[in-house]
Amino acid sequence: MDDVLIVITLLLVAASATAAVAVRDPVRQALVLSLLGLTLAALFTVLQAPDVALSQLAVGTALTPLLLTLAVRKVHRRPHTRDDGRGGETTGSTGTTGNAAAEERGE
Amino acid sequence: MNGWLTAAAALLAGGVGPTLWGVATGPVRRRVVAQNTATLLVCLATLLLAQGYERSSYVDVALVLAVLGPAGTLVYARLLAEDLRAAPPTGRAGTWAAVVLTPLVVVPLCVAAGPGRAALKLLLIGALLVAGNMVAARALRGAGRTDREGAGPAEAARG
Repeated sequence: MDDVLIVITLLLVAASATAAVAVRDPVRQALVLSLLGLTLAALFTVLQAPDVALSQLAVGTALTPLLLTLAVRKVHRRPHTRDDGRGGETTGSTGTTGNAAAEERGE
Repeated sequence: MNGWLTAAAALLAGGVGPTLWGVATGPVRRRVVAQNTATLLVCLATLLLAQGYERSSYVDVALVLAVLGPAGTLVYARLLAEDLRAAPPTGRAGTWAAVVLTPLVVVPLCVAAGPGRAALKLLLIGALLVAGNMVAARALRGAGRTDREGAGPAEAARG
């Protein structure tokens, strides 16, 4: 009967992983990714591996989405900071990065 | 499969499933609230699993999640402040879920554990969950109200 729990958590992991792929905006992807970390932690607990679940919680629910959102913020802010005299040669490349991100976000 | 495990399975299927839908669709404010609710539900499910498998060490996972979950939501409230300012979260369903569900799960677990250190730990986790959810919900609502772009969740909650 314990298989029911394993099946439920496996289905949740599969569904959240699919949702993480299907959502296109990186910021929203970070939110789904943290939910994927949660469901994976639940799966590891059900599979009697609480130590793996602990590390998965620390990495999956907190660190990975934090890094993702920080990176997205940095990329979005670049076009605004190029006027402060630090731009130089990199202005063109950062500008295109910002535009690409903006296009992806607008989808 | 005993009653505790059945309750955990029901909580995972009936609670985390809908929050997955909430996180994957809709505006950012609903996604953040759904993600916060999902941490609460998984934490409670882990507590039930610990009792169901009769392994008290599994409670540590729930303790870590009770600390990390609201902290993660505060990070989102800080980093998604611009989106939340455009459309702040309105409903209080997440907070009510925390206030109602946590005692429903923690009190029977404390009764099953009996008086002692284990029950104290469970009560601590329950208190952390309720307090963390209220702080996170306040920060999310406050992130929409603040005028300054760099305002942190703590300042936003005060304002």
